[in-house]
Amino acid sequence: MGGQACVFYGAAEFSRDTDLMILADAANLERLQEALDELQAVRIAVPPFEARWLERGLSVHFRCSTGEAAGMRLDVMSKMRGVAPFPDLWSRRTVLEIAGTEIDVLSIADLVRAKKTQRDKDWPMLSRLLEADFAARRSLDPDGARVEFWLRELRTPALLIQLAAKHPELTRRVVTFRPLLSLALAGDEIGLRKALRNEEDAEREADRVYWEPLKRELERLRGAERAQK
Amino acid sequence: MEELESIVEPEWLDWYRLTPQERWAESERLWISYLAMGGSLDPEPDSQSPFYDPETPCAVPADGRPGVRVLRRGGV
Repeated sequence: MGGQACVFYGAAEFSRDTDLMILADAANLERLQEALDELQAVRIAVPPFEARWLERGLSVHFRCSTGEAAGMRLDVMSKMRGVAPFPDLWSRRTVLEIAGTEIDVLSIADLVRAKKTQRDKDWPMLSRLLEADFAARRSLDPDGARVEFWLRELRTPALLIQLAAKHPELTRRVVTFRPLLSLALAGDEIGLRKALRNEEDAEREADRVYWEPLKRELERLRGAERAQK
Repeated sequence: MEELESIVEPEWLDWYRLTPQERWAESERLWISYLAMGGSLDPEPDSQSPFYDPETPCAVPADGRPGVRVLRRGGV
């Protein structure tokens, strides 16, 4: 669901770890632990690998130490801010086949939601993901749902203006959810650029607020682990 | 829509036009080169990540690893 998913969908990221979104129930954690044992994966940071931390929204970080996976980082999570619960994500996942292996990837819409974080690096990625989706599907007679997804999520001002000009009725309906589309309808590229920046700032702030108590929790866990050593 | 070609840089368009499988293969090639140059598997330090711990040791830069000899070092 991380950098590799971005590559699948068309963004370009050089990701040095693998992020896995999982269902944090007892049976699944047991299966995952078996797989981690096979990879000789060791937890390298707090929190511990327990359902309660995953359910709170914290990731658990591992490093593998066997065979081709030696040195590889694995991050495991089961909840993300602003993203639907796992069963919903699973029901609308994308399945890709790479070299005969099926790989389950977050849907593009869920990946876009997951990338709205406080980190600088995620925002250019978001623009690329959406442009890539637009590039791949624009000539395939996209349905209303796809156009609405672009209207709600695209971050490229010129594309939003062109989309609004082509679908004015739909754009007027979506304005309720994304007010900056009124600037797209008016063809105001400068205003739209500024509004997109404000939209980004608001999301980043919401992410910072969401993480504040969780960061305190992580700090407490780090302190406890260091005291034990 | 003609627009995308006039808005998006050509190299990005080329990348977008690849299939997921082709992008995966390109990414794999990049990995091989990166590792051959001594690249680290540790994530880059990211002080904006909620999981950032300033007390965790960072990966050694590739040009500081044994077996990698710097022939010319750029300034800053």
